[in-house]
Amino acid sequence: MEKQKEKGISRRVFLKVSAGLAAVAGLSTPKAAQADSNRRQATLIDLTLCNGCTDREIPACVSVCKTINKGKIPAPVSPIPEPWPRKNIEDWYARQEVADRLTPYNFIYVQKVEVDTNGKKKEIFIPRRCMHCDNPACATICPFSSNHKYENGAVVIDQETCFGGAKCKAVCPWQIPQRQSGVGIYLHILPHFMGNGVMYKCDLCVERLQASQKPACVEACPQNAMIHGARRDIYALAEERAGKIQGFIYGKRENGGTATLYVSDVPFELINKTMKKEPGRPDMAVGVQRRMAETDGLGKATLAAPVLGVMAAGIGLFWKWFSGGKDEMKGEGENK
Amino acid sequence: MSEKILSEKGLVVRHGVLELMEHWSIALSGLILLLTGMFQMPMASRYYITSLPGLTWSGDYIVSLYVHYAASVVFIAASCFHLFYHGIQGEKGLIPQKGDVKASIIVVKSFLGMGPEPPFHKYLPEQRLAYVGMASVIILLIISGLIKVYKNVYAPDMNYTVVLWATWMHNISFILFILAFLGHMGAILLKPNRPMVRGIFTGRVRLDYALHRHPLWIKDLERMQKKENPEPKKETEQPVSVEAPAEKEVAESGGAACGASGVAESKVESGAAPVAEKAETATAASDDSTVKNL
Repeated sequence: MEKQKEKGISRRVFLKVSAGLAAVAGLSTPKAAQADSNRRQATLIDLTLCNGCTDREIPACVSVCKTINKGKIPAPVSPIPEPWPRKNIEDWYARQEVADRLTPYNFIYVQKVEVDTNGKKKEIFIPRRCMHCDNPACATICPFSSNHKYENGAVVIDQETCFGGAKCKAVCPWQIPQRQSGVGIYLHILPHFMGNGVMYKCDLCVERLQASQKPACVEACPQNAMIHGARRDIYALAEERAGKIQGFIYGKRENGGTATLYVSDVPFELINKTMKKEPGRPDMAVGVQRRMAETDGLGKATLAAPVLGVMAAGIGLFWKWFSGGKDEMKGEGENK
Repeated sequence: MSEKILSEKGLVVRHGVLELMEHWSIALSGLILLLTGMFQMPMASRYYITSLPGLTWSGDYIVSLYVHYAASVVFIAASCFHLFYHGIQGEKGLIPQKGDVKASIIVVKSFLGMGPEPPFHKYLPEQRLAYVGMASVIILLIISGLIKVYKNVYAPDMNYTVVLWATWMHNISFILFILAFLGHMGAILLKPNRPMVRGIFTGRVRLDYALHRHPLWIKDLERMQKKENPEPKKETEQPVSVEAPAEKEVAESGGAACGASGVAESKVESGAAPVAEKAETATAASDDSTVKNL
């Protein structure tokens, strides 16, 4: 059945692309755009409470995430078209059960680290998923706007229009999005030369948010280590909790600010030192910069460019008039 | 007024310094925008463009975005300057006129050897049509680009409909811009158009070429120069005393004029010959080949 879906452009894909094109013509509003404009939201992950669900085979947050997202990715075509000239195929279809790293089938995992603090060894469990950044480069520079940040704070990849070029992964400081080759719209265009699948990551359960529910991982956490709510409240709560334990916050400044705040009683510098950055297992570099911020100055200059051009034209016209071209200006326009 | 007949040099000033600066600032920044726009697609690394000398940066999206923005400042400012500076002065030379579509068909037929070319003003009818096409694409690129930049800098959670509109508009006009650029280059390759190429580099074209192919323009220039210099000095720039062949046909002017130009120019530059004489010279030279009825 799923295989069948891949044989032709599905009706949904057709409708979405049509909606995009119609939007170009100003004719309609895509459904996603009508999304509930919830107030801005955020998540607090309290590392002093997370115990990694060591009594379970898979942590509760990971397990529920896998369950609710199961079957959302169609089976890849077989064989998966070999991209040209670089032949990197990423296929996780046969390894969907992997739960200890980010994959196209696993949007959250719990990272266990052991830090030395005050001469004692301490285990810390860190649920890792997309941070849902305030100004996410992964979304803003997606060439097809397949990745978008909604007003409620969720950064969501539209798997029906994503080409799997992995640009979002390249610009993410944590390389969160993961690719599944052999699925998606690219199969219907130039599968060997353009695109390579679909990128997947946590969407903050955006559909649940729109239904005024909380993300599934938050609801499933037996320790109440995750709290989701209005951004202002979550930011205040994080400060309050960090203040009480003289702890630390991660995610407030990182990558220009995010909608995910970690609170810990151990400095994140120490936590990060124990981490080895690997595919699907990001580190927690403190104060990681939003690289796109480097371009904001020139971006503002671009926005000012029309005014610059018009001002220059005004100065030019004035100069021409002032230097005696009054009569010329009146009569020469005909055939220039 | 920058347009001028330089009879002693056998040249006509077709574009002033300002127009040249406008053209080249838009053209060069436009090319950089095309290139860096392509690098905004995930292709530089995939296609080993990053391995090419001098293009290692092409795989870094932030660096190529930086260059894209820098070029867009020039592109947008120059385009707005062009629009307002010439628009306010009411310059209409590049605005399509009634009958341009029909005339363009005749010109295209003449390129294919099917019939003679009609006499032209400064610009060919298809140049006027192409100008409007290119300008429309540029306007779409600029509007959609500005929305995208605003989103990048200030409003990452901008309404998704607007984002999709701007993105698709930018992508579609990007493709149209490539096609327009290729069309522009293709037009230059056509033999009759080649004498115009020097005009966009130096601002000047050969007088004999202009007389053959743009007689209506030369007639206008002659009239205007007469108005400006009722008593011209003989030894410098002289008003033209050519009977511009407005109503006559000019056949296969470009190639023929090119071929004839050596003769024409050598005579022209040998002294301050009056333009009328040059016109005759050019005509005579052209008559030897294919130019008729000038």
